[in-house]
Amino acid sequence: MKLLSPRERRFLENRLRSLYGVEACFNDLVLIKCGRRRIRAATKETMELASRLRGVQQVGLYVMKISNGDISLSVEGSQLLDGEIKDNVIELDEEQVERWMKAIPIKTEKTYRGRYVVGKFNHLYLGSARVSRNGLLYPQIPKWRRIHS
Amino acid sequence: MTQILGGAVSTITSLNSRLPRNKSVDKVLGEIKLSESLREYLSKMPDLDLDLLLEAYRKPLPTSFRVNTLKMDEHEVLEMLKEKGVSFEKIPWARYGYVVEDEPIDLGKTVEHMLGLIYIQAPISMVPVEVLNPKPGEKVLDLCAAPGSKSTQIAQLLDGLGVLVANDVSFDRVKALASNLQRFGVLNVIITLMDGRKFPRFARECFDKVLVDAPCSSLGIVSKNWGIARSWNLELAKRLNRLQRQLIIAGFDCLKPGGELVYATCTLTVEENEMVVQYLLERRENAVLKEIDLPSLKYRCGIAEWDGMKLDERLRKTIRIMPYDNWAEGFYVAKVLKEGGS
Repeated sequence: MKLLSPRERRFLENRLRSLYGVEACFNDLVLIKCGRRRIRAATKETMELASRLRGVQQVGLYVMKISNGDISLSVEGSQLLDGEIKDNVIELDEEQVERWMKAIPIKTEKTYRGRYVVGKFNHLYLGSARVSRNGLLYPQIPKWRRIHS
Repeated sequence: MTQILGGAVSTITSLNSRLPRNKSVDKVLGEIKLSESLREYLSKMPDLDLDLLLEAYRKPLPTSFRVNTLKMDEHEVLEMLKEKGVSFEKIPWARYGYVVEDEPIDLGKTVEHMLGLIYIQAPISMVPVEVLNPKPGEKVLDLCAAPGSKSTQIAQLLDGLGVLVANDVSFDRVKALASNLQRFGVLNVIITLMDGRKFPRFARECFDKVLVDAPCSSLGIVSKNWGIARSWNLELAKRLNRLQRQLIIAGFDCLKPGGELVYATCTLTVEENEMVVQYLLERRENAVLKEIDLPSLKYRCGIAEWDGMKLDERLRKTIRIMPYDNWAEGFYVAKVLKEGGS
């Protein structure tokens, strides 16, 4: 577990701005690298205490995954950014939300910038879906939190 | 004689009449078998109504949940559930806790559950954290945290301020704990994998509050698994007692002076409850038992005399909740202050 360097953090902020229109992100939080592509967020106080403990498995929340410069936000990552996300958002209806949470692909007519979009239902964000070339969105809901039919 | 404590009896009666309704528990589900040693043990217990206990064991636990106010406004979540036809009633002893009266859909398969807007948790299981009463800004240790019901409840009451350390000894159980804390959206949490008994080596006098929800023989939740009653024996309780004594000492040593510890189990045996707390009182002079006051919950005071043996009178300040007291789980809860703080 390593903190993001200021340079890495700047890169991330720029990508979030260009992909999702996010102007201010995770301001009061520390961002932690987990493995090569995953990012977690935690409060400073939490990180300070974690550095004193043994047997630490995880700190804070998993918020995003970076792949080839694209950013896939987790459900909680998108909810943390909440009102800041302006671009690449797909508004879902109730039926689509069910499909989203079952990780069933959703057809879309729109074209999006980047490889990921963020789902939104009413004012609740639901994490990212990967956009495929055939116009399908593949929700990135981890297996353990999918609704099983 | 055991004394029934807790106020607002009319509220309890009203809640109790609703608790089991959602699972049509009035039908008898079969005969429950107690091991000989358990039957003999329970017959010695003061003021225990075995018929009522068996009746409670036969009934499934009521479905209940907590609204996650870290993610959304309580009222909004309740409206979403109402729109799905779910009806519920407030649990008087638990902030944000509700018991389901009518459940036309499986709550565990709803979007609200998967998104972490609600957390399904049995009603009495919410009691230990309510007794611990963590406040925003505090450092709290949950020593035996998996699968995370009480950890998420602590996180909710911390409201993003302070730090929660959620520890467990089992790798597989830590995975479940991590998933639940992620779904609940907790930022200020550290998950550790460690034998809880070793925690003071690195975190002595580090925490404002500690919860020791110790592994136990689970006689309070037999309705979930009747096998518990069939296979129970006194040796199991005694073996667990040794572990529980070490855990409560470890938890206490992690407390700052002036801090508070809650010891809880979901079992009924004196060996796993009062005797564990007595061990702490004997070993740590600065451990002081505190009164527990939970309005609207039916409970009785701890046992101070058992099997011809006099225990510490102060143990009457701890509480026992029988499964038939509120027609839910059985629990034991003790609250201990570490003297010496300002």
